[in-house]
Amino acid sequence: MDYSMLTKKIRKDIFLTAYSASVAHIASAFSIVETMYVLYEQGVLRYNPENPQDPDRDYFILSKGHGSLALYNELSRVGFFDKDVLMSFSKPGSILGGEPCYPNTPGVECSTGSLGHGLSFAVGIAKAKKMDNRKEKVYCLLGDGECEEGSTWEAIMFAHHMKLDNLIVLVDCNKVQKMDTLEAVMGIESIRPHFEAFGCEVFEVDGHDIDSIRECLLKDNNTDKVKVVLLNTVKGKGVSIMENNPKWHWRLPKKKELKYFMSELDISEEEIRVCKELT
Amino acid sequence: MQRAYMSALYELIRKDNRVVSCLSDSGTDYDELIAREFPDRVINFGISENNQVTAAAGMAAVGKIPFVYTTGAFLAYRSYEFIRDDVCMQNRNVKIVGMGSGLSWSTLGATHHATEDLALLKNMPNLTVITPASPKELIAAVNAAYEIDSPVYIRMGMSAEKEIYDGEIDFEIGKNEVIADGEDAIVFVTGSIVSQLLEAKQKLNESGKTIKIVNVHTIAPLNKMAIASEIEKFDKVFSLEEHNVNGGLGSSIADVIAEFGLNKKLTKIGLHTFGTGFGTHSQVLKANKLDSDSIFDLLNANI
Repeated sequence: MDYSMLTKKIRKDIFLTAYSASVAHIASAFSIVETMYVLYEQGVLRYNPENPQDPDRDYFILSKGHGSLALYNELSRVGFFDKDVLMSFSKPGSILGGEPCYPNTPGVECSTGSLGHGLSFAVGIAKAKKMDNRKEKVYCLLGDGECEEGSTWEAIMFAHHMKLDNLIVLVDCNKVQKMDTLEAVMGIESIRPHFEAFGCEVFEVDGHDIDSIRECLLKDNNTDKVKVVLLNTVKGKGVSIMENNPKWHWRLPKKKELKYFMSELDISEEEIRVCKELT
Repeated sequence: MQRAYMSALYELIRKDNRVVSCLSDSGTDYDELIAREFPDRVINFGISENNQVTAAAGMAAVGKIPFVYTTGAFLAYRSYEFIRDDVCMQNRNVKIVGMGSGLSWSTLGATHHATEDLALLKNMPNLTVITPASPKELIAAVNAAYEIDSPVYIRMGMSAEKEIYDGEIDFEIGKNEVIADGEDAIVFVTGSIVSQLLEAKQKLNESGKTIKIVNVHTIAPLNKMAIASEIEKFDKVFSLEEHNVNGGLGSSIADVIAEFGLNKKLTKIGLHTFGTGFGTHSQVLKANKLDSDSIFDLLNANI
């Protein structure tokens, strides 16, 4: 199935939200658009927008909190809050912070953004669910750059030892961090051997191919190992000047750059004008 | 203290299946006894305090009541941001029990001392901070911590702390205990160092001086009103803690004096730098001028 129109629309909405807030980690959100869509709209996560605290829900933790706009966009798409709320992003009185913030936002399970925390939190939930013989699953999305945080490996070591097969670790492998590529900063060409060395069941998919992501996430984990899904992505995916370029980690387009966003995401002059009024 | 903690925890584990003991390879023989009876309720996270703290927050998010236990220095210093972001900021029902308070890891030296932990943790929003003075007070604090649905830091010693109370105690979070009455000065004290103070008090009494001793076991939230009304009655005010004089109980008392506009001089007794020396707890207290003789000398010279 061709999802290109749909994902373009999601990226457009994310961009317009960021643009009206005059701030955001756009590139980090763009690399996980397809993953977030699969989690919330392709039958992977069980959730209940009418009752976000539903005890039967699966848990999703966005450990790479910079990608918050991709999460918020999905939460609004599936009904946790109105789409209008997105335009309040990162503004006074908003329920939507630059980083996910608990308990402000319906559907956000914990505060993240300081890297290297979310996976331990997810591991605690998964362990507690196991103790209670509950069937709910826990999904945690990390950045590949985030894996430089040592606490990630404390959590993985423990999850493996405790046989937390109810934990699914997703890694956004966009291979770029704030200052440069992971290879340039930390000599990491692929994070795969690291997770394998810690005993995880590692899968690798194209993180922009919705069908592949869905197939991988819906596949039963027949082992008692922690399932790790490496999502090969492009940081800033969807706008050519932003793709794979570290300088777009925390940045909005200047006047001359804006035309790339407008033409590649089908954004009109009128939509830009409305955004500017909201800033 | 450790034995008292384990006995209190054992009772809680027995009566409430939500209670979980979270260790970071920090267990003792007592943990093994609990684990023998409740193998699923004692979790060893290995030597990884950050994961231990935040995983406990995750467990609390789904209804568990985790008691996170290891050396206080490792929790307060190494895991400070994890305690802040994942436990306190989100108001998760995690009980953080830091053992080896003050200089009580006396043979191992300053890497194991917890002598600035109150300074770090007393200002943390949502966190109740309790420094029990004796085994009985520790048991009461563990039970009180269990009763409230919010995070608590309990600062406890090791194994040699003395009991200071006869009979039953009436413990309440935020309610200071008057340990002794006197007229010449008031001393606010927190933690097991109160036993050194009681010895110093005896010597003061022998030289004809009496002091009032108030045990401030709850450092946060501090009962400022009660402290202020005590201070008003005395000209000479002291604080005593097995902690740096900056940022701990003494600083809290100084805040009260300033906030209530009380024109009193405060003498803060405690550490002025990292703890020094090795040996028994008593020997290390002496090396750092926090033994009963040193406390007596200081009080006697100033009263």
